[in-house]
Amino acid sequence: MMKKVCENWEQALPAGTFGPHLFGEFETRAKNVSAEVFRVATAAEAQAVLVELAKSLGAKKAVAVDCPLAQSAGAYEALRAAGLEVYTATDDIAAHADTADLGVSGVEFGVAETGSVLQDALAVENRLVSTLPPVHAVFLKSGNIVPAMADAIGAVAKVFDRGYLSFITGPSRTADIERVLTIGVHGPSRFIIIAVDETAGGGAA
Amino acid sequence: MAVNERNIKKEISQKLKDDVLRGALGRFGEAYPVSRAKAYENVEDIEALRDELKAMKVAAVADIEAIADRFEAEAARRGAKVFRAADGPALKKYLLDLCKDKGVKRVVKSKSMASEEIHLNHTLEEAGIHVKETDLGEWIIALAGHTPSHMVMPAIHLNRQQCAEYFSKELNEEIPPDIPFMVQTARKTLREEFLQADMGISGANFGIAENGAIGLVTNEGNARLVTTLPRVHVVIIGYEKLIPTVEDAIPILRSLPRSATAQLATSYVSMISGPTPTLVKQGGKWVEQDKELHIILFDNGRLKAAKDEKFKEIFQCVRCASCLNVCPVYQLVGGHVYGHIYAGGIGAILTAFFNSMGDFEKINELCIGCRKCTTVCPGRINIPGLIEELRVRGVKDHGLPFSLKLLFENVIANRRLFHSLLRTAAIGQKPVQSGRFIRHLPLFLAGMTEGRSLPAVADTPLRDRVRKITKKLASPAKKVAFFSGCNMDFVYPETGESVYKVLQDLNIAVVFPEEQSCCGKPVVGFGDVETTKRIAKRNIEAFEKAGVDYVIAACPSCTETLHVTYPEILADDPEWAERAKAFAAKVREFSQFVCGEYEQAGRLTKKPGATKVTFHDSCHMKRVLNIHEEPRKLLASTGACEVVEMKDCDKCCGMAGAFGIKYSELSAPILKQKIENIKDSGAQVVAVGCPACMMQIGGGLDKQAPDIKVRHVADILADQIKD
Repeated sequence: MMKKVCENWEQALPAGTFGPHLFGEFETRAKNVSAEVFRVATAAEAQAVLVELAKSLGAKKAVAVDCPLAQSAGAYEALRAAGLEVYTATDDIAAHADTADLGVSGVEFGVAETGSVLQDALAVENRLVSTLPPVHAVFLKSGNIVPAMADAIGAVAKVFDRGYLSFITGPSRTADIERVLTIGVHGPSRFIIIAVDETAGGGAA
Repeated sequence: MAVNERNIKKEISQKLKDDVLRGALGRFGEAYPVSRAKAYENVEDIEALRDELKAMKVAAVADIEAIADRFEAEAARRGAKVFRAADGPALKKYLLDLCKDKGVKRVVKSKSMASEEIHLNHTLEEAGIHVKETDLGEWIIALAGHTPSHMVMPAIHLNRQQCAEYFSKELNEEIPPDIPFMVQTARKTLREEFLQADMGISGANFGIAENGAIGLVTNEGNARLVTTLPRVHVVIIGYEKLIPTVEDAIPILRSLPRSATAQLATSYVSMISGPTPTLVKQGGKWVEQDKELHIILFDNGRLKAAKDEKFKEIFQCVRCASCLNVCPVYQLVGGHVYGHIYAGGIGAILTAFFNSMGDFEKINELCIGCRKCTTVCPGRINIPGLIEELRVRGVKDHGLPFSLKLLFENVIANRRLFHSLLRTAAIGQKPVQSGRFIRHLPLFLAGMTEGRSLPAVADTPLRDRVRKITKKLASPAKKVAFFSGCNMDFVYPETGESVYKVLQDLNIAVVFPEEQSCCGKPVVGFGDVETTKRIAKRNIEAFEKAGVDYVIAACPSCTETLHVTYPEILADDPEWAERAKAFAAKVREFSQFVCGEYEQAGRLTKKPGATKVTFHDSCHMKRVLNIHEEPRKLLASTGACEVVEMKDCDKCCGMAGAFGIKYSELSAPILKQKIENIKDSGAQVVAVGCPACMMQIGGGLDKQAPDIKVRHVADILADQIKD
C-alpha cells in the first residue's frame, strides 16, 4: 500500500492548470499571511538564500530533511560550511529539533488562492522540523503551483490513501487574547519559502 | 414563566454590566462583517459555495450510518482502533481504560468541543491524569476555570489584564499584561507539556469515509504537536463531522476559515489517515515506531438528530460560529448565558440534543428570530426556524405556561373578546388591570419601558373608520382586501388610512373583512401551533368571503404568517390545505405590491426631494420576504425624499415580538445602537415597512432623538396624493 506519496504529486496535479504563471498570485497571498517568499532561478541561488537566512538569524543549529531540491542545491553542506551544526538523520532530528534554531524541509506544491504549501508529513522528521524550531524554511518548485484549494484537494484525493498531510499557510498564529494577531505560538514564528525555477534535472519547472 | 427559573434575567444583567465583555464583543461585532467580506473576496460565488456545502452535508446525513460504517472500516483497515461511544460515560470509560492500559500519565489536548461537552478533563484529572489544553484560548479558560464563551475564540470575554492574572497565578510569577510576552510564555510552558505527554487528544473538523482520514483546521500549530509527539493519539469526532470523500472537504476548507476567522486558509490544515510514525526513546536511543491511533466516534444525541426530519439540519454546521458573530443578542451577553458549551442560536439547538430540552428551554427566548444568522451560515442552517420547531415540540410535550395558554386559547383566538379588551384599553388609556395575563397581551399594552415610549391604543380603531374612508370607484382596476394586523387596526389606524389612500389612488377597490383578527404570529412564536391553526382558519374564511384578487398586508410579520405559516401548519389538514394555499397565493406585502403597480403606471421614476429619509429594513421583510429594494424605490419616486442609507440598516431594532418587552434590558441597547445609526445618517425621517418596528423605533426616537420622525412607507406615499 502506498504510504509515502510525495513522489506522485506532479502526475496528480491537474494537467495544464498548474504552473509558474500562478506564482505571482501565490506569492502575494503567502506574503499577505506573513510568509517570506524568495524566488530564485537556480539551485545555487537557493543555497545562498538559505545560508544568508541562517546567518541573519545567528543560527547555530539546524534540523533538516533531505529533499531533491535541497540536494541539488547542496544546501545542507553549505550550512555546515557556514558553521552550523546540521542534523539530517531521523534520530538526530528527534534529539535536536526542540533546541534547533532552524528547521528545513521540502514541500510538494503551492496553492495560489490561499498562499498555502502542501507538506507530505508522513515522515515524522518532516513534522518535527516544521513544528518545533522557531523558524521553518521550505524548498518549493516555483512551477508547482495549483490555482485553488479545490484543485489541491482534487490532487490529494487521487494519491492520499494513508499518511499525514499538512497545508501550511504562513507562520503559526493566534488571536486568542483580545483578538490581537500574534505570530508564533506553538509552531514557527517565521515561515520562509524558497522557490526554485530550475528543477533537480536542470530544466525549467 | 416556569421555564425561566435559572434566573436568566439575573445572569443577563450581570453580563450587561461586564464592560470587558461588552467592549470586546462590541468591537468584534463591528469588525467581523468587514473582515469576513474581505476573506470572501476571491470566492467567485459565495451563495454557490454555501449551496455546495449544504448539499454535501445534506447528502452525508441522509446516509450517515453507511458513511460511519465505511469510515470505521477504512480507518480500521489502516490500523486505527475505532470506538463508537453512545454517550459521555461510554467515552470516558473507554478513555480511562486506555490510559490505564497504556500507562498514560500525561495528556495534551488540542481543541475538542465534544470533549468539553462532557467535561472530559475533569474526569481525567479525577483519575489522577495530568491534562493540559494547548490551544491558547482553551488553556486560558482552563486556568480561569471557565467554559468557552465562543466556539472559535473561547476566551473572548477576557482582556489582557485578566489573562495576565491567570498566567501569574498558574506560573507563580508576575506576568505582565503584554500580549506577545504572554504568548511566548504560553509557548515555553506548553512546550514542556508536549514533550512529556504520553497521549495527545484532538478533535476533528472532518472525518473522511473513503480513506478513514481526519482533518484538522488550526492556527497555532498545537494540533500538529498533539498529533505528532505523544505515542498515543486519540481523536474524538462527532458523527456530524463525517463526510464521504476527500473532495467533500473542499467546501469545508473554502468556507470554514473564511467564516470563522476571516482567513483564506488557517496556518495549518492537516489530514491524518491511519497510524503515523513517531519517535520514542528506548534505552537512551530514539526509535521510530507507528503510534497508537484511537478514533472515538461520538454520538451523545447526534444520531437522534440525524434521524429527525427537521433536526438533521444541524449536521450542516461546521462550527465556524459566524452565527454568533452577527447575533444581536450574543453581541450583548456573550456565550456564558447560553449555559453549556455551545453558544448562540446554534448553541441553543445543539444544547437541546447534546444536553437536554430543559437546558434549551432556559435559553430559547434569547433567539429573537431576526434571521441575520441565516444570511451568513455557510451550511445554510435555518437556526431561527429550528428554534421555533423546538418551541413547538416543547409545547406539544408539556403545554404552555398557564397564563400564556389562557391568553392564546381564550383571548387571542377569540376575536370578539380580544378586540373588546383592546377597545377597553383605549377608553381607559391605561393597561387593563383585570388579571396577570393581560400584561402579556400584544406589546402596546405593556406600558412604558426605559429609553422608549410606547404608544397608546387609538381612540377609534381602523375597523371603525373604514366605512368613512372607503371610496366608491366607478370601474376599479382590481379588488383587494386589506389585512391590517392588530397594530395597524388598534394603534396606527392613520397608517391604515394611508394604505387605503394609496391603493384607491391606483383605482383599486379596497375592502376590510370585519371578521379578520390577529394573524397569530405571537401565538406561533411561542410554539402553540394548535391555537394558531384555529386563528388561521378564521382568517382564511373571512377573506374567502371577500372574493378579491389580492390580500394586502402592510406588516411584514403578518404577511409572513399569512403567506408562509398558514399553508405550512395546515398542510396535513385535508379540508384546509388547499384553502390555505389558495389564500396564501393571494397575499401581497404592501410596498412590493404598490411598487409593481407604480412601475406599470410609469410612476416609479426617481425624483429628488428635500427631506432626508433613511429606510430601516425589518428583519422579516428583508430576510423572509426578500423585500428591500421596493420601499427604497417608492421613497425615491415621491419627489419628497432624499434617500440616505444608515449603517446596519437591516439590523434588528430590538422589538422582536414579546422579546422587546420581556427582555427590555436587552432590547434597549439594541435599540440605542439603531438610534445612533439613524442619527449618524443625518436623516430627518426614518421610513419603515413594519408597524412593530415603527413602535420600537418611534418610541426610541421620542426619548433619544425627538427631532427625527418615524413613518411607515404608506404614510409617506399618502402625503403626496391630493385628496
